[in-house]
This record gives sequence, C-alpha cells and structure tokens, in this order.
Amino acid sequence: MKKTLLILTRNPLSLLGLILVTIIVLAAVFADFITPFPEHVGAVVDFTNFNQPPHWPNIFGTDLVGRDLFTRVVYAYRVSLILAAVVLIIAVPIGVAIGLAAGYLGGWTEYVLMRITDIFLSIPPLVLAMSIMGLLEPTLTNGMIAVTAMWWPWYTRLVYSITRSEREEGYVLAAEVIGASKLHIMFREILPNCVPSIVTKMTLDFGFVILIASSLSFLGLGVQPPTPDLGSMVADGAKYLPDSWWLTVFPGLAILIAVFGFNLIGDALREILGGDQ
Amino acid sequence: MSAPTLKIENLKLGFKLWSGMVEVLHGISLHIGKGERVALVGESGSGKSVTARIVLGMLQEISTARISGSLNFEGIDLDKLKPRDRHHLRGTRMSMIFQDPTSSLNPVYPIFTQFREVLARANPAIGEAEARMKAIAALADVSINEPERVLDSYAFQLSGGMNQRVMIAMALANNPSLLLADEPGTALDVTVQAQTLKLMSDLVEQHGTSVLFISHNLGVVREFADRVYVIYKGRIVEQATTKQLFSDPQHPYTRALLSAVPRITGGGIPDIAEDTAGFLDPLIAHPGASEKERLA
Amino acid sequence: MSAILELNGVSKEFAVNGRRTKAVDNVSFAVEKGECLAIVGESGSGKSTIANMILGIYGTTAGTIAFAGEPLPERREKRHRRAIQLVQQNPLSSLNPRRTVGASLRLALDVHEIGPKAERAARIGALLQEVGLEPDYARRSPAALSGGQRQRVAIARALACESELVVLDEPTSALDVLVQARVLRLLAELKAKRGLTYVFITHDLSVVRNIADRVAVFERGRLIEIGTTEALFSSPTQDYTRRLISAVPVVSDEEAAMRQHIMGDQA
Ligand SMILES: Nc1ncnc2c1ncn2[C@@H]1O[C@H](COP(=O)(O)OP(=O)(O)OP(=O)(O)O)[C@@H](O)[C@H]1O
Ligand SMILES: Nc1ncnc2c1ncn2[C@@H]1O[C@H](COP(=O)(O)OP(=O)(O)OP(=O)(O)O)[C@@H](O)[C@H]1O
Ligand SMILES: [Mg+2]
Ligand SMILES: [Mg+2]
Repeated sequence: MKKTLLILTRNPLSLLGLILVTIIVLAAVFADFITPFPEHVGAVVDFTNFNQPPHWPNIFGTDLVGRDLFTRVVYAYRVSLILAAVVLIIAVPIGVAIGLAAGYLGGWTEYVLMRITDIFLSIPPLVLAMSIMGLLEPTLTNGMIAVTAMWWPWYTRLVYSITRSEREEGYVLAAEVIGASKLHIMFREILPNCVPSIVTKMTLDFGFVILIASSLSFLGLGVQPPTPDLGSMVADGAKYLPDSWWLTVFPGLAILIAVFGFNLIGDALREILGGDQ
Repeated sequence: MSAPTLKIENLKLGFKLWSGMVEVLHGISLHIGKGERVALVGESGSGKSVTARIVLGMLQEISTARISGSLNFEGIDLDKLKPRDRHHLRGTRMSMIFQDPTSSLNPVYPIFTQFREVLARANPAIGEAEARMKAIAALADVSINEPERVLDSYAFQLSGGMNQRVMIAMALANNPSLLLADEPGTALDVTVQAQTLKLMSDLVEQHGTSVLFISHNLGVVREFADRVYVIYKGRIVEQATTKQLFSDPQHPYTRALLSAVPRITGGGIPDIAEDTAGFLDPLIAHPGASEKERLA
Repeated sequence: MSAILELNGVSKEFAVNGRRTKAVDNVSFAVEKGECLAIVGESGSGKSTIANMILGIYGTTAGTIAFAGEPLPERREKRHRRAIQLVQQNPLSSLNPRRTVGASLRLALDVHEIGPKAERAARIGALLQEVGLEPDYARRSPAALSGGQRQRVAIARALACESELVVLDEPTSALDVLVQARVLRLLAELKAKRGLTYVFITHDLSVVRNIADRVAVFERGRLIEIGTTEALFSSPTQDYTRRLISAVPVVSDEEAAMRQHIMGDQA
C-alpha cells in the first residue's frame, strides 16, 4: 500500500490525479471549515446578491437565489463522494461474491448466476437506473439503490473471468487436494489474485459513479433540492447559458475534475498492481 | 573469430526487497559463439533463469531489479537499443524456452491462438491457414502425435511434456539466432528428449543457431553441449569444454555436483556431505575455455 | 504385506472439441504399504492422469480404485484427503503467488487441525527445515523463490498433512542434482521413519533405479510392464522399456557401457 502510494507520486500524471483527488476529498471532509457560507447549503435566500458572476468573496459567483456557488460545489462533492463510496461498498462485495461463485463452482451455479448478470448488463445502465428511480421516490437513498443495481454486474464479469483462468492453476488444485473448503479456496486463494484488478476498477469507477449520479440528477431523478448536487446544478444553470455561464461551468468543471482525477489514479494502479481488464 | 552471438560481461543483479537488497548475480561473464551450444549448470536458485531473462530484456521490466554489466548480441550493445527494437528481438532473433511450460502458456487461449501470435511476430501478414500448417509441422517435429488436437486444446488439457514440446516448437518456429533453453527437457521422456535435442542440434547445424542450454540433467548436458559453465550462488565457478569438465572436474562445487548424479548402474542415492567448504572458491577456467583466450 | 492402493481395470477418456482420447486404458496394479512404486513412460501416456484419479481430482471412466481395502468414493472425505497427498509436476503454479509460503503450508495444518494452533508457526518452520530451507522462508512470496526452492515448499506441504500415501509427479525434475540427492534421501528417510508409501512419477530412470522398489512402465495409456527395479533394469521384457533405458543420458562411460549391454543382451 505504502509502496503503491510512493510509486504514484513518481509519475507526473498519477501525481496530478493523486493531488486532485486528495484536494477533493479534503475539501469534502472539511467543507464546514473551508467554505465561506456553510449555511448556503440549505434553503437560504439573499436577494441583495443573486446571480452574480465570480467576485470576492463569492469566487464562483452566486446562484439565482443568492447562495454562494463555491460553497454549494464543495458540499455537492461531499454528497457525491458519499454516494460513490456507498454504492461501491455495496456493489463490489455483491459483484465479487457472485463472480467468484460462478467462476469457481461452475455448472448450474455458473449458468444461472451469469445469465442473471448478463440480463442486468444488457439493459443500458441509465435506463435501468431511471426505471428504478421512476418506481421509487427520487431520494438520495433510492438514487444509491438505483446506481448500485446497475453497478455490481461489472464486478461479477471481471471477477468471473479472472476466476475462470485461476481455477486451472496448480495452487487451486493443491488446496483442493489438501481438502480446503470451497469458501476458503474462493475467498482466500483466488480472491487475493483478483484484488489488483478490483482495486483498479474501483478507483476508475469512483469517477464514473459520480458522473452517473450527476446524470441522474441532471434528468431530475437524483438528489432533490435544497441538497446541493453537481448534476442538478448543471441542469438548472443550463437554462441561463450563456449569460450566467458560472452557474454551469463551475459545477461542470467540478464533475470533470473528479472523474479525471480518479481516472488518472486508476490507470496508474492498473499498471502498478498488474491488474488486467 | 567473428563477434560472438552473445557476450555477457560482469553482469550483476540484485533485487530491492522490503527486507533490503538481495544480491543474486555477482558479476558473471560468459559468451556464446555462432553455432555454439553452451550449457549453464548449477545450483537451483543460483541465477540461471534470471540470466536468461536479462538477456531477453524481461527482468529489466521488474521495478525491484537492479542490473549492471554489459550485454552484447551479435555485436550490438543491447542496452543501447531502443526498447521497441529490443522488444522486437524477442521471439524473432532470440527466443526462449521457459522453465515452466504450463504456466508460460496462457490458460485462456487455445494453443493455436498463441502459436499464431508467435509466427506473426516474424511475419505479421501470415494468414490463418498458413499459420495452421506451419504450426502443425512444427508440432510434428517435436514428436507430437496429434498436432490438430493439441492446437485446439488449452494448456491445462495437455500433459506437462506436451506443453513443453509446444513451447519448444514455438521457440524454434522463427529460426532464432539465439535460443535460450531453460530446462527444455524436464517433462519429457528420454526418447522424446533425445529427439528434441536432435531437433535443436539440427537447428544449430543448419542455421548456425547459438544455444544457451540451462539444465540440471548433467547427462543431457554431456550429450548436447560443446562447452559448460558451472554457476554457484551467482558466480561462475568453472568453465570448460564438455569433455574437460566431465573427465576432469576441478572446482569443489563441480565435483560435488558430479558425485551427486544418481547412476543408472545403481548404487543408491549418493550421500552428499553437507560440507560446502570450497564451493565459493574462485573461478577455474580450463585451458582453451576462458573468456580472454576465446575472444582474443 | 498388504496393498494400500489398488487400481482395477481403470480407464479414463477425455473429450476435446468432440474428439475423444483414451488417456488411460484398462490399467490394474497394486501398491504395497511402505513401498515406492515408480511410474515411467512416454510423455502423454497418462501418468499424471492416473495420479489425478488416485487423488480424486478426476473421476474414472471405468474401473475402481481402492485405498487400504476400501473402494475410494468419487467424492473424497476429509480423511482420504489427509491420507493421500500430491506433489505436482509444476512447481511454479502449485503455490499461490499472492500468499506467503507460510500461509500455503499453514492451510494443510489448519484444514486437518494438526497440532495445537499456537504451535503451528513453529511446525511450519520445522517443515521448511526438513526440506532444507530456512524457517524464515515462511514469510516469502513464491515469486521470490527459485524453481527448486518452490518445489521443496510443495514437498513440505505434502508432508504437513502427515499422509500415508504420497503421489509425487516429477517432484525433483526442477532441482539441481545436489538438492535432488538431498530431497530423495529425505523422501527415503521419511519412508523408513513414517512408513510412507510413494507413487513416484518421473522421467529420470537414473533416479528410478536408485529409489524405487518396483517400476511400472506406461505407453499410450497402457501398463506394458511392471516388476522389481532389479529385474526391470537387468532384463526388460518390452521393446519400449529397452528403448527407454538405452536413451537415458548418462555422465560416465561405464554407464554408457551398461546401456549398451542391455540393448546387446536382447538384440
Ligand atoms: N523477482 C524476484 N525477487 C526477488 N528475488 C528473486 C526474484 N526472482 C528471482 N529471485 C531470486 O534470484 C535467485 C535466482 O533465481 P533463478 O530463478 O535464476 O534461479 P535458477 O538458477 O534458475 O534456479 P532453478 O534451477 O531452481 O530454476 C533465487 O535465489 C531467487 O530467489
Ligand atoms: N483435462 C484434460 N482434458 C483433456 N485431455 C486431457 C486432460 N488431461 C490430460 N489429457 C490428455 O490425456 C493424455 C495423458 O495426459 P497426462 O497428463 O496423464 O500425461 P503424462 O503421462 O503425465 O505425460 P507427461 O509425462 O508429459 O507429464 C494426454 O493426451 C492429454 O492431452
Ligand atoms: Mg530456473
Ligand atoms: Mg505428467
């Protein structure tokens, strides 16, 4: 772990990714202290200073009801990061466990599990999430459920393909001959060999989950006001382009930077950890 | 004498591990002339495979490896080559038979896919049918009975010896000028082994291929090699022509090694004294076999 | 003496892309308790397949395998797993690259609950020493071991189960002759001390000559000759066996003379 971090700092691109992600995470965690107007997260109205271009102290400008845009972008990061983390924390173990079981156990288990996975994969992700969100109320929790539902199958596919090739390896045979349980072989022998690929994919996905969640709220299906959300900020601001450009540009840039940062790290990890995709 | 096909000078290798630096090669020098069969024998873990991997340029890709010394291939300093050119040598002008055939073959592709890739390295335009024909011929050369079935199989569906022969056939497919054979016969029965050795010898004679032959089987070395280097703990301890080495081993390590060979005439498994005194004695080069004399 | 392992009319067929191959064809033999039976033969003649069937990795297409008088079930029980162990042909992949040597050895001890938990670490050290490695190799990953060192770990793992029958599939082909001699002596010692029984698959007839009590010769999936080592080497009855012996690469002229003798004798 320490070694990986060290290598990341050596390459300029991955170092940039590391810096971007660190800034985003720190900003989200310490949002209460670094934003000038923390109270602007809620339903605050200030008609003395609304729809203003960037100026001091509103460095990103203000929105249509006079709230500080910088404050709202930073808080939106917090929401996005929590959402992405929760989605991955739920989706990855599910996807990994199914992939291991299908890949190692084979037979009917493999057939049934992989068909289910394929069904999920065949539905365009946004359509799947939208239909779930259409059925449920558009709250943050439901947003997470929707995104989770479309995310786990990718991990199943990944882990399944690795497991399929690993199960022919001598060390799996050796464990079987010793009499180790199937659970041991799946989780203690094969899983460690999947970890590099999983970690790499998770890093890449962190950015993508943020992007998808933003798309959902752009379509009005995500987080609801007054909670700040990058996707809905872009959507709302888009109506006032090009005059009030700051309303879209800063939240848009924020999404871009997050996705970019996580991708840079993910790409580097892929090389360092030797995970293949 | 023209430039040797391979000349290694003062090659050192260490690994930077978390526990500290591990020195593996302590400055070894060796050369292989054109069309020469040179054996590298010695302790397991003494650095034979890593030497071959360094020549191929594979160990250089490991971030923990620290390598110094010079490598010369057909008069070219390998370290001065662009990575792309160096990479292109692999599988075309120098090829390697890996020690562990089953895991050197990719488990997720059938043999043919991998064989075709090898052929395409030398001839990118090669077609499916031609590749198949060549592959079948190459497998038949290494006494594989059902080449068609083998090509459609995955590595795990073949026996150890079959995989090894597949590796050998792939390594020879592009008529390399240097063949690095890392224990090419371990999984073969002696009759097939004799046949593959003959195949390699033919290659040496027809194409002037040079062979670095790594083996634990001293009997095979005696029958195949022209010259032998003995390596112990990352140091070459003795070098001689095959005849000299087997009739008159000088270095204490070489002597111990030869006395440990089980004999077909019986007599039990030799009882080897744990005593390793003298194994680290300096290099003994038999007349006519030292670097300086040969290259002068 | 009683047979610890008995194969009776065992066959195995594989299908690759619809084509069927008979890897093992109607093979019967018995292994006595405490003996070392060597299996030699053509590459691809079904030796490893037989090993896999003895261990229950593959089922048989026909025939039965009995261990200590009882037929072995298709699904092996834990006691069978413990009683019969394997050392694989391939040292590189038989150890998990992402786990330490110690973890691989510990698995055997944990699964069969051998020794108190607190003593298992010490036991691992002792096992490594038994095969001539320092105890601190337990912390290494297989990638940092040479082929021969890995193979010794694999042997240590088979010993860890304290089994009665060990199937060794080319256990020393990756070792230098010095280490090989040591491992073979170790195997012989363990055989004497623990009463172990070996099925020893190898291509090295010089090793067979010096370690095996009896030898079975295979060609194309069939058992063509079986007999005591003495008898087989002094007067082989089958042409293939003779060809095998005469092709053994040797290191001295006397040996070459003996090879010649065998050929000459029968010619
Ligand atoms: N990636 C690595 N990291 C650390 N040590 C390594 C690495 N690769 C090899 N070594 C060490 O280098 C030494 C030489 O290894 P090498 O594989 O060349 O041995 P060898 O002579 O081919 O042995 P064998 O005959 O058993 O195959 C060994 O002691 C091994 O532990
Ligand atoms: N899982 C499998 N699927 C299909 N065919 C197989 C499988 N395992 C082995 N075979 C075939 O069975 C035959 C015997 O293979 P086996 O591995 O038993 O040979 P072997 O005697 O051990 O040879 P070697 O000395 O080369 O290791 C070969 O033709 C091989 O291709
Ligand atoms: Mg080696
Ligand atoms: Mg085999």
